[in-house]
Amino acid sequence: MTTVARTRGLTKRYGSFTALDSVDVSFTEHRIYGLLGRNGAGKTTLMQLLTGQLFASEGEIEVFGRTPVEHSDVLRRLCFIAESQRYPEDFKPSHVFKIAPSFFEHWDAEFAERLIADFRLPLNRRIKKLSRGQLSAVGVIVGLASRAPVTFFDEPYLGLDAVARHLFYDRLLEDYAEHPRTIVLSTHLIDEVANLLEHVVLIDEGRIILDQDAEELRGSATTVAGPSAAVEQFVDGREVMARDRIGGLASATIDGRLTAPERAEAARLGLELAPVSLQQLVVHLTGGALAAEQQKEAAA
Amino acid sequence: MTAVPISAAVVREDRFRFSDVARVVKLHFVNPSIYFGVPWLILGGAWALSVLITLIIRGASPAVTAEDMEGMRNSWAVISPQWYLVVVGVQAVAFTFNFALGLGSTRRDYWLGTSLVFLVVAAEMATGIALLVQLEQATGGWWLGAHMFDALWFGIDGFWVDWFSAFALQLFVLFVGAAATTIYLRWRMAGMLVSGAGLLLLVVGGIAIATFTETWPEIFAWLGEIGIVGVFTLVLGLAVVSAALGYVVIRRATPR
Amino acid sequence: MDESRPIFLQIAESIENDIISGELAEGSQIPSINEFAAFHRINPATALKGVTRLVDDGTVEKRRGIGMFVTVGARSRLVARRRDGFAAEYVRPLLVEADKLGIDIDELAGMLREERTKAS
Repeated sequence: MTTVARTRGLTKRYGSFTALDSVDVSFTEHRIYGLLGRNGAGKTTLMQLLTGQLFASEGEIEVFGRTPVEHSDVLRRLCFIAESQRYPEDFKPSHVFKIAPSFFEHWDAEFAERLIADFRLPLNRRIKKLSRGQLSAVGVIVGLASRAPVTFFDEPYLGLDAVARHLFYDRLLEDYAEHPRTIVLSTHLIDEVANLLEHVVLIDEGRIILDQDAEELRGSATTVAGPSAAVEQFVDGREVMARDRIGGLASATIDGRLTAPERAEAARLGLELAPVSLQQLVVHLTGGALAAEQQKEAAA
Repeated sequence: MTAVPISAAVVREDRFRFSDVARVVKLHFVNPSIYFGVPWLILGGAWALSVLITLIIRGASPAVTAEDMEGMRNSWAVISPQWYLVVVGVQAVAFTFNFALGLGSTRRDYWLGTSLVFLVVAAEMATGIALLVQLEQATGGWWLGAHMFDALWFGIDGFWVDWFSAFALQLFVLFVGAAATTIYLRWRMAGMLVSGAGLLLLVVGGIAIATFTETWPEIFAWLGEIGIVGVFTLVLGLAVVSAALGYVVIRRATPR
Repeated sequence: MDESRPIFLQIAESIENDIISGELAEGSQIPSINEFAAFHRINPATALKGVTRLVDDGTVEKRRGIGMFVTVGARSRLVARRRDGFAAEYVRPLLVEADKLGIDIDELAGMLREERTKAS
């Protein structure tokens, strides 16, 4: 497996605020990554650093073997579709598609045209006058048709309806299958993309808290529900990620896969086992501070 | 269909590629009216106004001769697009920097491409103005004795001096606008305020020194001595300084 | 797709089911990795992992440049394997639930026969 991008001890500070804190992460050729985390966790900052748009405060970044900053041979292989990409005043989508091929050597004009039709994007309307969804479609089309060896999509589908989002997933998978490349997808709609991802990187408060194959994560946590006493007995000695209680009933989310005997044991105790989706897992892993805060507020 | 993987192999290429700069030029010119349309629209409007004023003067008092119209040489109509071109310099950078970086341009190539655009625009404007001065002189002020292009310092030392002075002035206003914008991009409003105040202090300080040391007559004498070409060589020098400043500043600028 | 188990296992199982049911006959070609990925909206690498599992246990074979085909004898092998797991996977949980509800073995047998008649 060829590594296309790697960071070591990557830190980005804005004054006293640390947006990224000593991040070590790497991205491999021909994989679809999910870059997950809450708002302000550092996802966009990481992508801006990897594409040479920001300057690191500390640490190293290597993309295709060297820093992306001011290196045209590296930048030529990257495509970064920013959540709030700003386009030149008076630009129309047609202008964007006219200039994009000069910047992406693998640009496929036919594919772009097909996508424009799929997304029903008006080509000759001022970008300023496009709806939020249409604006997102411009980015999605550039990102897909660019066929850049490494493509970053930062929340690419704000304002896109469910139909358009599924169109994006379908076209992404189709094209990825024909032209494998590295895709980094940052998103909040984790449930929708969970099956698309091969690898998951979870950021929280500027740190990487999870960096794992999506398949390994699937079923790696389980929620156990039933009578409080039985739940407590079952989870005793295990790592509990979240707990909930209603009257005499309780539920607990535990880390780690259950073996067949353990499942049998749970059944014997009259406990319900429910799988934890990737989205729920992310909420459990990154909601800690929020939950603690809420408890504090409730106590006060 | 067999998969065609997109290669991730490192192709180290430190050689300067002109195409990297050319695509920035193309990016600016995707919407050419900003650079080539609007300035001429402004000049055209000023020309129509000048001709109209001439017609009114001549219509009101038929005794006025072409010699009497010489006063129109003080008209500033010929440099009417200059304010707009400062704005073009500002917009060129403000509107395309984020987008160009988003497309994967380096800051260096972006600035070189933008500079090339400015050179082309300045040369185009200079050629147009210098030719129109000639035309105005040949037609005796559009057969009315009007002075629009053949005004101020234009039409005195011939075509090439007109061309050079117009070129230097266009380049200067474009780069001043662009350089000021790079300061905004890098340090936002605070940077604009500090550098604006600094520049103001420099200018006021210069004027104060010249006034207190009573060197104004000498300065004017010197400017007279170096002539139109000399003065606009200074302007061109300021344009080059602005361009260099913009380059240094933009190399560390980050998109919003 | 079921959240609790790896998708590649589920892909492999769904192909196995089609072979057992006869929908995919022995010797017939199975859809390509990309077709599986597009159909299930999953990562092609995951689909590949599922199919590779079937290649490894001899249920499916690769023919270079053409595609993947169900091997001869695959169905009977799969049925035999499923039979082995049937007691653990289906009968035991059934008995646990039956015990909980106080259904004895004869009653259970009767219920099974009744359901079979209804279904046919």
